[in-house]
Amino acid sequence: MDWHLFTASIQGTAHRAAALPNQDAVGSRGDPAQAGGAPLAVAVADGHGDPRHFRSGRGSQLAVDVACELGCEVLAGMGGAAGPDPVRAQLAQRLLPGIVHGWRAAVAEDLDHRPFSAEELRHRHPGDDAVVAYGTTLLLAVFIGRWLAVAQIGDGDMLLVEAGGRVAVPVPPDPSLHGRFTTSLCQDDALAHFRVGALDLDQAPAEVLLLATDGFGNAQATEPWQPGVGADLLAFVRDRGIDWMGEQLPSWAARCASAEGSGDDTTLALLVRSAPPLRP
Amino acid sequence: MTISQGATIMPGGGISRRPLHFIVMADCSGSMAGEKMQALNFAIAEMLPNLVAWEQEQEKAQILFRAVAFADTPRWHIEEPVPVAQLRWKPLHHVERGRTNMGPAFRMVAEALAPDRLERRALQPALLLVTDGLPTDPPGQFGAGLSALLALPAGRAAVRLAVAIGRDADSEALNRFIGDPQVPVLVADSTDEIADRLATASIALSRMSEVGVDRDALATQLLRAAPPKSPPSAVDDSIV
Repeated sequence: MDWHLFTASIQGTAHRAAALPNQDAVGSRGDPAQAGGAPLAVAVADGHGDPRHFRSGRGSQLAVDVACELGCEVLAGMGGAAGPDPVRAQLAQRLLPGIVHGWRAAVAEDLDHRPFSAEELRHRHPGDDAVVAYGTTLLLAVFIGRWLAVAQIGDGDMLLVEAGGRVAVPVPPDPSLHGRFTTSLCQDDALAHFRVGALDLDQAPAEVLLLATDGFGNAQATEPWQPGVGADLLAFVRDRGIDWMGEQLPSWAARCASAEGSGDDTTLALLVRSAPPLRP
Repeated sequence: MTISQGATIMPGGGISRRPLHFIVMADCSGSMAGEKMQALNFAIAEMLPNLVAWEQEQEKAQILFRAVAFADTPRWHIEEPVPVAQLRWKPLHHVERGRTNMGPAFRMVAEALAPDRLERRALQPALLLVTDGLPTDPPGQFGAGLSALLALPAGRAAVRLAVAIGRDADSEALNRFIGDPQVPVLVADSTDEIADRLATASIALSRMSEVGVDRDALATQLLRAAPPKSPPSAVDDSIV
């Protein structure tokens, strides 16, 4: 399958007002055209804004890097899987432990290069493991052959829009997410908080996949917002075209990150399947 | 889809700030009659422009205001969440010989904060309890009402503050409502101080809901704004 990938990441106005950097991250590995059946991995992550997580911007970038790298590597052989169960098993048993371990190792390496400063240590809570400073969410999607494997820890949103117009959220909901609270890659039991999915794109032909940090969903005035946003994305593909969507994406993120919206850092990764016919 | 003023065409039904539900639970028992009730109404009306100003200063939250009046039983004084900038305060009235039953008021607020009634994107609610007396709930009812509130994710997460009108109202019950020994009850020793205490509490609540609860910072801020006074001494020094 051939995908177009667009990304945008905008600092929230509330972050700017608080002199905080953009603590979100976005990244990808692989060829969006999936030439030769190679995997494509895309991830977004949202570093926690609380001062206790004072290196969360670095943590989110490390999470995205590790997840995309391992996503392509670990799932590379799954393109020919006969059903979703082997894909899900590979995800849960190899990829996610690898991501958690790899992220912690990357954090340790980062700390070796740049130990905590006295100023940073003022924000550290007694008893906090060093990884707490790097706390972040993570949303990962890996396309491999006919399969789409997804994993998420913490808040943020994934939205899948099928060619027939069905809008789906490809990971199960997490009832523990509410208000300002989120699960995190920095938790000791992070593995237990990942939500995963494996979708057969031959059965449910996806046309659009959106990965978003919570700055996007928290800006949406309607609830639930997913059906309307999904329907509009599909209409945009058909009426305005893929390139137009790519051009618009930064302005969508910017409006959500503004004081009109959530005011929070907003990061989007938009994947659109190639060559849908434009409506005359 | 929505089209903004700057001609950005966006998917979805438009954007807005995150809701910050601010609920005042006001004691309207018989003992609030007269000057106290007048002062409370004045104080709430004075508090609202401060909240509007705070809402405009920060970049994230839209305050949606509600109020519960409680005595023997609670009732919604403002039931539907109203954007604070649009609110015109209608005075509360005391209930003749009304008691100070807090448990049912907590239950009423709990119902409003149930997961199916609160936006998924809402910030932590801010709850402000104002009373001039000790709870008069039948045995077990104060605790049961508070448990119902705290059983909800939003109730547990809510930033909760209490203003006691008169030192006698500064009770252990209010500390249980606040749920954090570091965060003091704000005491208005006279009706003149009610407006000041409400202003302090409302801005602290809003800020903590928007940026997250740093209990130490909240306690420090409140103690700075309204330092606890020494308990009355056995001897009136002024006449010694």
